[in-house]
Amino acid sequence: MKRKLSMITFVIMTVFLLAGCGSDENVIEFWTPLTGEDGAYMDQLVEDYNATDPEYPVNHVITSDLYTQIYTVLQSASGIPDLTLIHADRVPSFAKNDLLVPMDNVMSLQTELKEDNYLPEAWNAGIVDGTQYTIPLDIHGSAMYYNIDLMEEYGVTHWLDDDIVTIDEMLELEGKMAEGQYVVNDALLGWVALAQLQNYGGDIEGSNGEPTVNTPEMRSVIEDLRSINDAGLMTPFGEDGYLMFQSGNVLFSTDGTWSRLAHEQVEGLNFGITNVYSHSADIFHNRSSAHLFSMLRNEERTAEKEAGIADFLEFMRENSIDWAEAGQIVASREVVEADDYDQFMQSFYTKNEKEEDSLFIYTYEHYPYVAEALDDYIADIVHGEMDIDEGLEEMQRFVDDRVAEGDAELEDAADAVEDFDDEQ
Amino acid sequence: MNNNKHSHWFFIGPHIILFLVFILIPSIYGVYASFTNWNLMTSPTWVGLDNYQTILFNQDSSFHLEFFNGLKNTLIFVVISVPLMIIIPLLIATAIEHKDVKFKNFFQSIIYIPGLISISAAALIWSLIFNSQLGVMSNLFGSDTVWTATQPYAWMTIFIMTVWGGIGGNMIIYRASISGVSEDLYESAEIDGAGPIRKFFSITLPSIRFPLIYTVVMTTAGAFNVFGQPLMMTNGGPRESTSVLMMYIRDLAFGSGQSIAGIASAMAVLMGMIILIISAAQYYVMNRNSA
Amino acid sequence: MTKRKNISKYLAYLFLIIVCLIWVIPMIFGFMTSFRSQAEVVNEGFRLLPVDWIVDNYIKILDNTSSAPILRWIGNSIFISTTHTLLVVVIISLTGYGYSRMRFKGRDVLFFTLMGISFFPNVVNIIPMYRIIDILGWVNTSWAMIVPGLAGMGNIFLVRQFMKGIPAELDESARVDGAGDFTIYFKIILPLIKPVLIVAGLFSFIGSWNDFLWPVIVYTDVKRMPVTAGLLLLQDIYGNYQMIGQLMSSAILAIIPTLLLFLFAQKYFVSAINLNAGIKG
Repeated sequence: MKRKLSMITFVIMTVFLLAGCGSDENVIEFWTPLTGEDGAYMDQLVEDYNATDPEYPVNHVITSDLYTQIYTVLQSASGIPDLTLIHADRVPSFAKNDLLVPMDNVMSLQTELKEDNYLPEAWNAGIVDGTQYTIPLDIHGSAMYYNIDLMEEYGVTHWLDDDIVTIDEMLELEGKMAEGQYVVNDALLGWVALAQLQNYGGDIEGSNGEPTVNTPEMRSVIEDLRSINDAGLMTPFGEDGYLMFQSGNVLFSTDGTWSRLAHEQVEGLNFGITNVYSHSADIFHNRSSAHLFSMLRNEERTAEKEAGIADFLEFMRENSIDWAEAGQIVASREVVEADDYDQFMQSFYTKNEKEEDSLFIYTYEHYPYVAEALDDYIADIVHGEMDIDEGLEEMQRFVDDRVAEGDAELEDAADAVEDFDDEQ
Repeated sequence: MNNNKHSHWFFIGPHIILFLVFILIPSIYGVYASFTNWNLMTSPTWVGLDNYQTILFNQDSSFHLEFFNGLKNTLIFVVISVPLMIIIPLLIATAIEHKDVKFKNFFQSIIYIPGLISISAAALIWSLIFNSQLGVMSNLFGSDTVWTATQPYAWMTIFIMTVWGGIGGNMIIYRASISGVSEDLYESAEIDGAGPIRKFFSITLPSIRFPLIYTVVMTTAGAFNVFGQPLMMTNGGPRESTSVLMMYIRDLAFGSGQSIAGIASAMAVLMGMIILIISAAQYYVMNRNSA
Repeated sequence: MTKRKNISKYLAYLFLIIVCLIWVIPMIFGFMTSFRSQAEVVNEGFRLLPVDWIVDNYIKILDNTSSAPILRWIGNSIFISTTHTLLVVVIISLTGYGYSRMRFKGRDVLFFTLMGISFFPNVVNIIPMYRIIDILGWVNTSWAMIVPGLAGMGNIFLVRQFMKGIPAELDESARVDGAGDFTIYFKIILPLIKPVLIVAGLFSFIGSWNDFLWPVIVYTDVKRMPVTAGLLLLQDIYGNYQMIGQLMSSAILAIIPTLLLFLFAQKYFVSAINLNAGIKG
C-alpha cells in the first residue's frame, strides 16, 4: 500500500513539474473586481479588443477579493498587474501612499483620453492634488427603482412627474398601506443617507480635512429617514427589503444601478428607475462610485506596454457601450451621447445636465471609513434600535480612531517612502 | 535493536519542516505586525506595545470597544455552541450505534451532508427559511418576528445553522470510537443490572476519552474563529450583538478603508492567547479526570 | 430485560428520525430552490416543491465554459484535494506515530508548542504566506493549495489521540522480537489506525475542497482555480442575491464529488477494526 502511495505521489509530482507555467511578457495583465454578470460583459469587451490583434493583448483577471490581492502582491513586489480597475474611493489613499502611476504619459499617447470626453464626476474622481491618476470606465451608484403596478394601485404615479419623490410625498401614504406592503425598503441605506447629506449641504470633511459625521446636517438626514420608518412606511429592521421589492410588496427600492439585471429576471415585476428620494423637491443627489482604470507602480511595466494600455483605454472609450448592458452609467461621452445608449434604463441619469450633476462621488480621503461607519450603524439608528445622539457619536468615534491610526502611519510611511526613493 | 537515537526525526522531521515554513514563519510575521503600525501599502513601522495598550486599556478608543464587544460575542458563541456541537453528535452517534438500529449509514449520511455545502449556499438556505415574509417561521408558525434582527432569535439562527452544518465530523469520530468499545464491557455491566444511561456514563464515555478530548479542544478552537455564520446570517446585528471578534479583525485588516493591520494583528494575537489558555485548560482537566 | 431493550431501540429510532427530518428539510428546500426561477423564489415563499420546474439555472452555469468553467474547476479541485489528502495521510500517520509512540526528549513539549502556535488565527499571515509561495514559484499552481495545509496540526492531534488508545504492550512485545520503529509503525500501528486515517483523509479532502480564503489570493488564472474559489466569481459583486436559483445550482454541482466520496468512504469508517483497540475501561 505504501509503495502504491508513493508511486501515485511520484507520478503526480512529475505531471506537475511538467505542467509549469509562465506568464507572457507581451500581455497586459488587467485585474478587476467584476464578479458575477459584470465580469462576463468585461470579458466580452476584452475579447473584442484582442480580436483587433493589438501588439499587447489584454488578459482579464477577475478576483473576488481585489484589494486584499493587491496588498498581497504589492508587499511581495511580485505579480503586480499592469492595469487595475479600482473604485473611486480607493484613489486618494492609493495616491497618497504612492501606489499609482499618473496617467500623463498614457494621455499623451492617446490624445482623446481627456477630460472633455468623459462625464466630469467620473473624470475628477481620478484627480488627487492636481494629478490625473485614473481614466474612468463608468459611474455606478444609488438608484431608486419603482414598482409601476403598485404605484398605480396606490394612485401615486404623479410623484414621479418632476423626477423627484419627496419624503413628504411618501409620508402621504402613512396608514394607507395594505398589510405587508411598504413605501420604501432600506437597501443601501448608508448610500441613501450620503446622498441626502448633500441635499442638506452637509459634508463629511471638515475645514481642516478632519472627518465630520456628527453634524447637524447628518442629524437632519437621519431624522428624515427615521420619520419614514416611524410612519411604518419602511420595510422593517432586518427584513430583506431587496427581495420584498422583487416580490412586489414595496413601492421603491433604493439599491444600485446594477440591480436592474437582477430585477429583470423576476418575471412580472414591472419597474422603472428614478432619483433617490429627497427632503425637498428642489434638490436631489444620487450617491455614486466609479470604476476607474489605474496603473499600480510596477518596475517591470515597459514604455511599450504603457502604449498598449493607452490603446486599450482608447478602445474602451469608443466601444464601451456593451458595458451599459451591465447596468452601469458609462463614463465615456461618446457612448452616453450615442442613440443606442437611450435603450438602457440608466440613461435616465445622463439625460440632462441636472441629472448628471446629481451623481455625486465622494473623493474625501477618509470616505471609506465614513461609509463603513454608516453601513455599521445606520440601520440600527433609523429603525430606532439606537438613539440618534448615541449613534452619531459612535460613528464619529469609529471614524476618528481609524483616521488617527492611519495618520500616525502616514507620517512614518513618508520617511519610508523617501528612503525607498533614494534607493532607486 | 536498530533503534537509532535520532530515528524520531524520520517520523516528525518532514512535518516540522512544513510547519516551520507554512505556519511558524507566517505566524512570527503576524506577531511582528501586531507591534507595528501598518496599512499594507507601505512597510510596517514599529510602535512597540502601543496597539496592545490601545486595545486593552484605552477605554475611549473604538478599537477597545470593538475588541471587548467582539470578545464577549465570541465567548457567547463558544459557550453555547461547543456543548451543542459535542452533545448532539454524541447522542446521535450513540443512537446510531445502538445494537438494534438499522440503516446506520443512512442516518449518518443525512447528518453529515450539510457539512459539504458551501457556507454561502447554506446561509442562503437558512436566510430564506428565517425570512419573515417568505420563510417557514411565518408560514407555518405565524410568527412575524424578524428572526435575524431580534435577540435572542438572531443568536438562535446562528446556532441552528452552525449545528446543522457542523456536527457531522464529530459525529463520525464518536461513532467510530463507540463502535470500538468492547462488547464484553456492556455485557458484564448488564449482568450487574446497569441501564442504558448508566452504561453510557460508566462505559461509553470513559472508553472514548481520547477522541473526546480531541473533539472538545478542536471544536472550541474552531468556535473562536467563527465569522462566516454571523456575517452571512445577521451581519453582526442587531446593534453589533452578534459581531464576533474575527469579523472585527478581518474588517480592520481587509475592510473597505485603509487597512489597520497592526491593530488587527494585535487583536488576533490576543485571541490566539485566549484560545491557547482555554484549550490547555481543557486538555489538562479532561486528561487528568479521565486518567 | 428484552422489553427494556426494545424501548431503548424505539427511543433511538424516534430520536434519529426526528433529527434527520430537521436536517433533511433545509437540504431538500435548497435542492428544490435550484429548480425555481427568481420570480418563484420571491413570490411563493417556503414550499418544498417548485411550482414550475426549470433547469435553466443549471444550463446557465454549465453553459459558461470560458469565464466560469465549472466542470474544469471541479476537475482542478478533485486533483488538488486528492493529492493533498494522499500526502496528508502519509504525513499524519508518520508524525502521529512519532508524537505518541516514540520516546525522545521534549516530545510532548514540542507537540504542544506546535499545537499552541497553530491556534493563532491567520489574519495578516496571508502576506508572508504569499511571499513564500511566490519564492517557491507556486503562484497559480496547485502546489499552493496542496502543500501549506500539510503543516496543520489538527489531524496529527486526532491521530495521536487515537494512537494513545492503542496499548503499549503491542509495541513492546514487537520490540522484544527485535522490531524497529519503522516495522512497528508499518506492521502494527498502521493497520490499526486505518479507520482514523480514512476519517482524517475525508476531513482533509473536504477541508481543502471548501477552502476559499486562500485560493482567492493565489490564483489569478481562472482555468486553474479550484471550484470553491471559482464559485465566488459567479456571485454578485455587491452581495445582492442576484439569482438565488443559480447560486443553489452551482453549490449543488460543486458538492457532487465530495458527496460521492463521502458515500464511498463511509463504509470504511466503522470497520471491524477496533479503533480503541483493547481499552479496558
